[in-house]
Amino acid sequence: MQKKLIRCGTVTLLMAILLTIPAWAGSLKSFADLQGTLDIAGGTAHIPVMNEAAKRIMTANPKIRITVTGGGTGIGVQKAGEGLVDIGNTGRALSAEEVARFGLRSFAFAVDGVAPVVHSDNPVAGLSVQQVRDIFAGRITHWQAVGGPDAAIHVYGREEASGTHEVFWKKLLNKETVVGSANIIQSNGAMKVAVSRDIYAIGYMSIGHIDDSVKPLAVDGVLPSQATAIDGTYPAVRQLYMNTKGDPKPLARAFIDYILSAEGAGIIRAAGYIPLQ
Amino acid sequence: MRPTANRRTSDLATTIFCWTAAVLTMLAVLAVMGFLLYRGAGTLGPNLFFGETHWWEAVRGVRPVFDGLWSALAGTALLVLLSCLLAVPTGIAGGIYLSEYGSRRFRAVAGFAVDLMAGIPSIVMGLFGFSLIVVLRHTFVPRAKTGLLLAAVCIALLVLPYLVRTTQNALAGLPSHLRLLGPSLGFTPWQNIRHVLLPSAGRGILSGVILAMGRAAEDTAVILLTGAVAQAFLPRSLYDKFEALPFRIYYMAAEHRTAAELDQAFGTALVLLMLTGTLFGLAFAAQRTMEKRWKG
Amino acid sequence: MDGAKLMPHLLRAAALACTAAAGGILLVLIYLVLPLFTSGGWGSVIAWQWLPFQGRFGILPMVVGTLLIALGALAVATPLAVGVACFVQVLAPGRIKGICLALVHYMTSIPTVIYGFVSIFLLVPLIRQWFDRGTGFSLATATIVLSLLILPTIVLVLQATLRELDRSARVTCAALGFSRPAYIRHVLLPLCRRGLLAAVVLGFGRAVGDTLISLMLAGNAPMVPASPLDATRTLTAHIALVVATDSQSTFYHSVFAAGLILFLVMVLIQLILRRLGGTFTP
Repeated sequence: MQKKLIRCGTVTLLMAILLTIPAWAGSLKSFADLQGTLDIAGGTAHIPVMNEAAKRIMTANPKIRITVTGGGTGIGVQKAGEGLVDIGNTGRALSAEEVARFGLRSFAFAVDGVAPVVHSDNPVAGLSVQQVRDIFAGRITHWQAVGGPDAAIHVYGREEASGTHEVFWKKLLNKETVVGSANIIQSNGAMKVAVSRDIYAIGYMSIGHIDDSVKPLAVDGVLPSQATAIDGTYPAVRQLYMNTKGDPKPLARAFIDYILSAEGAGIIRAAGYIPLQ
Repeated sequence: MRPTANRRTSDLATTIFCWTAAVLTMLAVLAVMGFLLYRGAGTLGPNLFFGETHWWEAVRGVRPVFDGLWSALAGTALLVLLSCLLAVPTGIAGGIYLSEYGSRRFRAVAGFAVDLMAGIPSIVMGLFGFSLIVVLRHTFVPRAKTGLLLAAVCIALLVLPYLVRTTQNALAGLPSHLRLLGPSLGFTPWQNIRHVLLPSAGRGILSGVILAMGRAAEDTAVILLTGAVAQAFLPRSLYDKFEALPFRIYYMAAEHRTAAELDQAFGTALVLLMLTGTLFGLAFAAQRTMEKRWKG
Repeated sequence: MDGAKLMPHLLRAAALACTAAAGGILLVLIYLVLPLFTSGGWGSVIAWQWLPFQGRFGILPMVVGTLLIALGALAVATPLAVGVACFVQVLAPGRIKGICLALVHYMTSIPTVIYGFVSIFLLVPLIRQWFDRGTGFSLATATIVLSLLILPTIVLVLQATLRELDRSARVTCAALGFSRPAYIRHVLLPLCRRGLLAAVVLGFGRAVGDTLISLMLAGNAPMVPASPLDATRTLTAHIALVVATDSQSTFYHSVFAAGLILFLVMVLIQLILRRLGGTFTP
């Protein structure tokens, strides 16, 4: 509760600062002469940032229409690559093959960690890396084995094309396949809902999406947070990217510039991520 | 034929079984509707539709709506309208031809195709639409995108067989004295259809059209792949992405961030249920009057 | 009167367009699956593991998942539907008959997404609590809800058959002294076998083709479930999940293979219905 209050306070303070310094509000002005539609799809960790930016831009200039949808990192690559959307978001760096095949350009804008999460009423507060691997590989199937309640572990995972999945799988699971019986969830937002509704759940999600309804687990004693992610003590860290096919068109360019501006940094921070600038 | 005890038990079992089946079914449906009402009724109000935006500005599309279902409702309405514009004339015309003109052979082949179309899962129809766009982009129309028009075309294909069949059935159900009326007055076959048969079968066809509208409004799988997105506001052209009620429900069921958003989802589901329920009621009424008129 | 002369041709064109559409969809699907034939990719698609990033594109678990869910839904829905249809046609008192029939008709208009949505909050927590296994998103959950979805299809087709039979047999049987339940057991049910079969086949098609219920409720784990309480994934949900994910060669083609399989199942169903005679569009 207190944590939330503090966070709310920080956000309000931040917004107050943003609103009172006119120089920062300038970047919305760059949309004044623009119009048209900007389609965004892909990475689901990005959605809160995209939505908030879209909301501000469209409120400032109703002639601009920005559509935001998820789908995951895979769809971000695919749709931007096929030219079906203007900006495709990914939760990981593009592979050389993807860049070569589609001619994509990447714009990193934030740092984010991927953390194992459980229901907020789950007494387990931390696991060793090995325990995390054993749970997600299906070798540990009961909460009691890791000091938890007398109940089976409900594993929730993501599609292989998810950027969140890839980071977690590479950097924490050491590329071990997640157990086949894991329920497949389609986005970070949905993962939070799924875990928060199931008291015996375990899943993994973007740290920025974590709120009071779920609890991040300390891994080898390190509590995942954006602070431990950026100072390197927590290993499962990635950057969030926006990608365009070739050089961005004017509206996409303005949008990307806005995200990378000081005001954009405020939005990113308010969404729980660490801006890169 | 004095019933033995054994038979009486079987009779009782049969009766109990049938009653239980009927009561269970009713209960299940009432549970679904009751739960939605219970959770969603409280959210019904201008806020559910327009969020913080002033309703008149939202309706005119001057300002986007951020926390309401207005854009989804408008998107669904546009989708239904567009797909019906495409499917209704074609479907009715196809139905008339099959009922009044086609040879036996043609009828058999076309009938098979139509029934097959009716069976195609909507996700396959969506997949078809999506791949069509990808193929088009690589060939003739490099600027083609998923959006309202594509979704409407796919939905139109989805409801087309219903329209063909209801038209055909409505015409086939007319009594034969009506069928002979036109020729006896010297009408050409088309004049007979135009002035005698169609007006008589009108309500049956109308009920088919309304049912097709309901089907277009509720389908989620097609639009999932052909252009529905979580946040788009009112589309400004046929190629824009759009919001839709069923997609909004599907999305919010998994992605609600707060309890308030979940309430919104229940409200949205209730609105969609009322919408399809109303359409169903209209279709049912049209069908009933049609049956009363010709079947006594 | 040129317009009038043109009319039959216009109508013909429309009818042809409806017919051509079905063929067109099939052709597009086949065209997109073709690369699998030429590259010999079928081997990797007809396999038991779905780990796309490790080069395994097997969709057999989804085929099994689809069959299990559809057959399970039929197993639940068919007896219920027989009961409801007989109730409506024979046992129900006048007013209740009307209400019951209207309700079943109404059920056909309830959006599938609403079934899925309500079940997430109503049924899934119950299944999770009652059984000490799994997350509640499972084969069993999807099966139960899906049976509700296909129930009206089966009832309406079956009831149409029963109505015809009843018209010709009721008076005779009443005169012979059959009680009404006995009339159901010994006359109606044995006679309506063909209609029941058609109804079941149609219901099966409806169950195989549904996306939202299994997508929202079955848990989507790409594996053959070991128990009804395990998660599983259907072909339709697979398409929805994976089209929205990636388009790397074989990865992508496996989706069209799934689409083609679904399409061919529908062709098969139509052929069976033809053999049974009559048209059974609900």
